Amino acid sequence: MQVIKRDGRVVEFNPERIVKAVTLAMAQTPGGVDIELANKIAADVQRKLEDKNQSTVYEIQDLVEKRLMSSSRKEVAQSYITYRYNRDVARKSKTKEVFLDIIGAKANDITRENANMNADTPAGMMMKFASETTKPFVDDFLLSTEAREAVKNGYIHVHDKDYYPTKSLTCLQHPLDKILKNGFRAGHGSSRPAKRIETASIIGCISMETVQNEMHGGQAIPAFDYYLAPYVKMTFKEELKKIGELLDKDLSKLYEYQPKDYIKQDLAGLKGEERDIQAAINNTVSRVHQAMEAFIHNMNTIHSRGGNQVVFSSINYGTDTSPEGRCIIREILLSTERGVGNGETPIFPIQIWKKKRGVNYEKKDPNYDLYKLACKVTAKRFFPNFINLDATFNQHEKWKKDDPERYKYECATMGCRTRVFENRHGEKTSIGRGNLSFTTINLPGLAIESALEAQEKCGVTFELGKGSEEKMTPAFKKTVKKIFMQKLEDVAGIGARQLYDRYKFQCTAVAKQFPMLMSGLWNGSEKLNPNDSVEPVLKEGTLGLGFIGLAEALTVLTGKHHAESEESQKLGLEIIGTLKEMVTGFADRYDLNFSVLATPAEGLAGRFTKMDRKKYGTILGVTDKDYYTNSNHVPVWYKCTAEHKAKIEAPYHDLTRGGHIFYIELDGDAVHNPESIEAVVDLMDKYNMGYGSVNHTRSRCMSCGFENADANLKVCPECGSEDIDVIQRITGYLVGTTSRWNQGKLAELKDRVTHIDGEDANGMKGA
Amino acid sequence: MNMAGFYDESISNGLGWRAVLFVSGCPHNCPGCHNKIAQDFNYGKKFDKEDIINRICDNSILKGITISGGEPLCPENIKEVADFIEDVKKVRPQFNVWCYSGYTFEQLEARNDKETNRLLKDIDVLVDGRFVESEKKPNLMFRGSANQRIIDVPESLKVHKVVSLDL
Repeated sequence: MQVIKRDGRVVEFNPERIVKAVTLAMAQTPGGVDIELANKIAADVQRKLEDKNQSTVYEIQDLVEKRLMSSSRKEVAQSYITYRYNRDVARKSKTKEVFLDIIGAKANDITRENANMNADTPAGMMMKFASETTKPFVDDFLLSTEAREAVKNGYIHVHDKDYYPTKSLTCLQHPLDKILKNGFRAGHGSSRPAKRIETASIIGCISMETVQNEMHGGQAIPAFDYYLAPYVKMTFKEELKKIGELLDKDLSKLYEYQPKDYIKQDLAGLKGEERDIQAAINNTVSRVHQAMEAFIHNMNTIHSRGGNQVVFSSINYGTDTSPEGRCIIREILLSTERGVGNGETPIFPIQIWKKKRGVNYEKKDPNYDLYKLACKVTAKRFFPNFINLDATFNQHEKWKKDDPERYKYECATMGCRTRVFENRHGEKTSIGRGNLSFTTINLPGLAIESALEAQEKCGVTFELGKGSEEKMTPAFKKTVKKIFMQKLEDVAGIGARQLYDRYKFQCTAVAKQFPMLMSGLWNGSEKLNPNDSVEPVLKEGTLGLGFIGLAEALTVLTGKHHAESEESQKLGLEIIGTLKEMVTGFADRYDLNFSVLATPAEGLAGRFTKMDRKKYGTILGVTDKDYYTNSNHVPVWYKCTAEHKAKIEAPYHDLTRGGHIFYIELDGDAVHNPESIEAVVDLMDKYNMGYGSVNHTRSRCMSCGFENADANLKVCPECGSEDIDVIQRITGYLVGTTSRWNQGKLAELKDRVTHIDGEDANGMKGA
Repeated sequence: MNMAGFYDESISNGLGWRAVLFVSGCPHNCPGCHNKIAQDFNYGKKFDKEDIINRICDNSILKGITISGGEPLCPENIKEVADFIEDVKKVRPQFNVWCYSGYTFEQLEARNDKETNRLLKDIDVLVDGRFVESEKKPNLMFRGSANQRIIDVPESLKVHKVVSLDL
């Protein structure tokens, strides 16, 4: 007979377990243990269950209770009931502890998993309760046995596991033009097509805010400039009409006039039509500026997902060379530079500059002036980041300079790095698509396990980790690599099957479960009826198999990480190259868009490390910190030049089509030095990198608005105030106060080095 | 000459990304000096020209080098600094050179000696003047105190008058 356990697992019935429980209960009574009676009770219960194929733990316990009550030892029944009750409470106490942490607004890694979220608000707590209780449900009932074991053993991490039962998808690049042109329906209202820039900007916000509630990841606009440009034109026309009315003049012949550039100018000295046009331009620019400011303001203040977090929003722009598109780009940049409220750095949206030769990179390019402005703004405000459309893998054969819809063939990214471009089931594009879910492999864990097995096989013992290369025999090196590659293949297989299982589960959703997303925003969804399965359209999405800790894994396998040794870098590329081949294999087998992701591991940064340290102890250069290095990055504590970091990380960008990012830490205030930002973009260009950004610190006096780049600023040098806000970046997102960072990430922040901390700096201070 | 310190790259000591060499030894002894320890000519280690040039020439992100200190233009240091810059220019002719000095441009031009003239012709930007504590202000671009000037050296040499760098 089989017994169904509390967690849903099925085991063979074993009467010994009854004997054990009953004797434990007996031991608590003055009469003591009577083993014969215990055996008899077990046998009686077994007989009662004889003709059943299956039973539950609860049913068996009830039978034991009844049998004890009818025995001569009723006091044992009492003891058994108490024992059973205490066990139930103990089982629930983990949940209780988690709940108490949430209630007490205690800062630990559960409530600090996500730096954009305020888990102390009622809605935030409600979400945490739900999140913490769904995770074990997913483990017990939705994951396959192999996936559950792999999660438990710390081989893989299933991202957004709390959302798994909801069948939600991760993220979307919004085809904003569709709803701007056609209007839409959301909640209790419908909206007509936009006719002016203010409405267009608000509709952009609503689109992202509404869909955020239907997904578990971020929301992005892939071609912000192209989408909004028509509404600049309409606004200009509206302004001309107003001027005509005011002056009682017929200006209709000017309605189709296209200004060379939307730049404000003093009207003094201008006469006639020239004056009317310039006045309309001036008013249009003001309104576009206001609309961009409103857009940024909304993205930072309006909460979504149950009221506890703002949208993880991103916008891509930079390649629209029309006067209207340029006006959008210029005004969003100027609004960002000015800041929100009293001039504070806007945390959202993440802005991404689409860098492209012939469009905005070289002096002769039409949008070069705006690129210069973008570098100036990022020096002060961290954004825009830069996506390199010239990287070989970001190019599209259909892109034509004079095609008004060329943005469809421009790769866009989610700010965090998630990249969706290649497509087995439709046009290669980022638009109207997104990631479905992702799962991350713990590379250091696999490496440690492989090294221990290889040591045993080769009959050698030595301390693993940094500096172990001297102890490694050629036989060990060969063996450990072979074992590691095999384990990688096994675990990647488990990860891929888990992603596929989740995909099949997601496919059981019907369109009306994601009302806005599936009303035409997701590619192909306009053809679905509310009760149709989403299966036919989901295959345009991507399944991301990510990895964490390449640096630490290499330290185990070779004694050095990839920025320290060429041999290590060679192996690193072989590992991720192999992973890419495996993933291509999964894509063929399942006919789905599988891709390798250089995981942004916010909640994960410390979890694997903690597990592995518990299992294997402290290993130098591997588990001796509170976090593993994200994906393929050079460790943040390692001192090297920016160019060395670029050379090491660049080749991984081509291998990680699911998303990647390159970061440079600055040693000072780039506000005085925007060309230092251009130099970083030049590195991306030179080394064929896909996406990158510049990290620095912005400290702001909340009393007088003074700002500088000193991360340790405690007292404002202008006004003496101690109300200082320090802004830094965490896995792509800006965070105003580090109190919401989790332990792993805080430790990583503390270790970050800029590129001047070289060994010869010797404490010298620059200007 | 001794070297007090070296940054392989920095964005805070002049425009673009720059290597920064801090030479040892300074006669000025300005009150409030933030590298006081480098006033000692024996501080740090012996300046290894070859090593520094190697580190500079491989790094394509660098727009130039900044010489700071200490005092690069005092009589004890000036010859070695001038030789060094000449050698740097041989390897990277386009390299942009900034130099910090407690002497003013006028004082340096008035010197009219061979080494000073040789060095000035290789310098693109001079940040001149002593550090004056009472003129210290936060967020001064590339300077410690407001009396210091960021000078376009080639232009200034042409007209024998200080021309500020157009930033």
